[in-house]
Amino acid sequence: MNEDERKILALRFALVALLFFALAGIEGILMRLRILNQLTAFFDERHYYSMMTAHPFVGIYGWAYMAVMGAFYFLVPYVMKRDIYSKRAAYASFWLMIIGIAIIWTTTFVTHYAPLYTLYWPIPIAIELAGWHPAAIFSFGIGVTLVLAAVLVFFFNMFATIFLPVRVELNGGERLGAGYVFKELMLTAFNLDKLWAKVKGIPHYTARVFNYPVFVVAVFRGCVDTTLNAFVIGGVGLLLASFGLYHLISGDSPGFALIDPLVYKNVFWWGLDLIADGNVLIFTAGTWYLVVPLLLNRRLYGEPVVRAVILADLVVSLFVWNHHMLADTPQPLALQIQGQLFTWGELITMGLTIFAVLATIWHARPVKYSAPLKFILASMTGYAIGGLAGIIQANYAANRYFHNTQWVIGIHGHIQLIVGLSLTIFAAIYALFPLLTGKTLSERLADAHLLLMAVGGVVMGLAMGMAGTLGMLRRTLYPMGLGVYKPYMIVAVAGALMMATGFVVFLINVIRTVGLSTLIKLFLPQR
Amino acid sequence: MMMYPQLVIEGVYFAIISIVMVFIIVFYILTSRARRSVESSNVHSEAGGMERGERNWMLFLFSIALIGNIVFLSPLLPSARNTLYSPEPALRVEIHVEDYKFHLPEKTIRIPAKTPVEFVVVSEDLVYGFGIFRKDGTIVFQMQVVPKPYVNRIIWVFEEPGTYDIRSTEYSGPLHPWMFVSDAIVVEEVGK
Repeated sequence: MNEDERKILALRFALVALLFFALAGIEGILMRLRILNQLTAFFDERHYYSMMTAHPFVGIYGWAYMAVMGAFYFLVPYVMKRDIYSKRAAYASFWLMIIGIAIIWTTTFVTHYAPLYTLYWPIPIAIELAGWHPAAIFSFGIGVTLVLAAVLVFFFNMFATIFLPVRVELNGGERLGAGYVFKELMLTAFNLDKLWAKVKGIPHYTARVFNYPVFVVAVFRGCVDTTLNAFVIGGVGLLLASFGLYHLISGDSPGFALIDPLVYKNVFWWGLDLIADGNVLIFTAGTWYLVVPLLLNRRLYGEPVVRAVILADLVVSLFVWNHHMLADTPQPLALQIQGQLFTWGELITMGLTIFAVLATIWHARPVKYSAPLKFILASMTGYAIGGLAGIIQANYAANRYFHNTQWVIGIHGHIQLIVGLSLTIFAAIYALFPLLTGKTLSERLADAHLLLMAVGGVVMGLAMGMAGTLGMLRRTLYPMGLGVYKPYMIVAVAGALMMATGFVVFLINVIRTVGLSTLIKLFLPQR
Repeated sequence: MMMYPQLVIEGVYFAIISIVMVFIIVFYILTSRARRSVESSNVHSEAGGMERGERNWMLFLFSIALIGNIVFLSPLLPSARNTLYSPEPALRVEIHVEDYKFHLPEKTIRIPAKTPVEFVVVSEDLVYGFGIFRKDGTIVFQMQVVPKPYVNRIIWVFEEPGTYDIRSTEYSGPLHPWMFVSDAIVVEEVGK
């Protein structure tokens, strides 16, 4: 692929991601209204829970993953001055993701299949109890498998772009094998070369192959987590598809006892939480590491430490899943405490990450804040607000009060995802827009977009969180009335509408800058 | 409304994030307007070591993590006292859950206040939740209910006499919101 083809690829991903963002937003507002027991005439409970099942897939995979994929398909080759490993794989990931999400969305909409994204065994296969149709289980399982297959194809393409060829021939004709390449990669990427030199008793370790920018290190580090995640969640998709198919053919079910519910829950959360670390935290951090120094024309502050932090966070991320299971009393206490301690580790790694970016800005003062930089500053604020809430709920004792409440999904989940992650994605869009289109978006409209989304996101998240502190649960309607939670839910709707207005401002900005016809032409065959 | 533990935690949290938000606004103003005093340290990270500010910040974060863990693992919160430092239960209440229904040992469970009670909850089919709520909707405590072969247990000491509701705190299908038992537990003052 040449650079122009990569630009078109990135724009296609971005545009589809924005469509999914709009869809997730519409679903979010509808669900917010339904929680207030509005729209009951045409939006029954089964429909609500099926929408809640599709919503995170549309929001996380359709929006966040597709935006990240589009950005990285352009940025990684751009930074490394080389081509994407496979154009075919790039488009395979594009279509697999769209088809997978379309299947999930259609299945839930048509059949009202609603196991939610948590998929706790045996809820997704409770045909008689929950009233699911086996065809819906099969179809949903296929959709999930395709989405995660798209993720795996993308990561294969990223790893291949970054690392291949694994055999490197130096100028003198000396050939270095995969083992050497891997060792050097680990030492240089994560700033372990000084430690290695000490171990080997040599003055300096000199890298012969790699000199990866910290952004690329963050990308491949994030890909490790998200690849593991894709195997686990994709595996669950395959399991459901197989179960549904078996039931369709035999008319019978293999039974709940096939799988141990607690072991399943551990494996599932181990895999699922890796999205939070790989995609939500590390891909975001990588984007900050790239965009902030580029905009300020400076080196990233404390880059050697940042590299070590990226590796430390990989270790931390593999041992934090238990903070999702603190309310499971059959879980061994040692695992509960371990989950709590490691989760506090994320305060340290994310704290150092934010510090490095803020220090980079500080040393560049006076700073002319362009739109991407403002979005990144707001995004870091979102991470601080959402991250601290996450640390609080991840304590074994505090979890008795906060587990599964609106606190978890409001202050922690949605502020992290909307104010933290989404504002970083918009920062990347504002930063890349001139590179990809040759045109610049209006700064004034960008300011309005930022203000509405950031304030709206924080208002919505905090209102949900305050209801959660009072005991309002997530993942449930209150058909008998919301009681004391109602005022908070009204404020949350106001926050959601502010965000929606912000997104409309962004769309107006894009359309008036490049024109609607240009966007449509992106999907026509290119000459 | 009384100052329940979760409301105290929320208050501390709001104080911290207020500081964070003020800091970011001040940071934005200072970095937009300040003049560059030292022509600068674009070489700061070339040496490969840790910057002084970075080291201090890391020590601060480690200290916060240490203090946070000590506080949350100490018997300060009632939930910690009742779970990590569980007293011997004086009473045992066994509850079964099946087909989206709670099966209680009696219509109203009567419990003496300030007495350790063990709740044993067994699910015959799906994953559910078990939460006890005050009449004002605030949560007293909760746990997940992992289905058989697992048995879910929690010991709790009710400090306040009163009437409490039971609600499933985990989604288990579209019938989940109806898993609510009003006035399921009455906590009585000792001696009554």
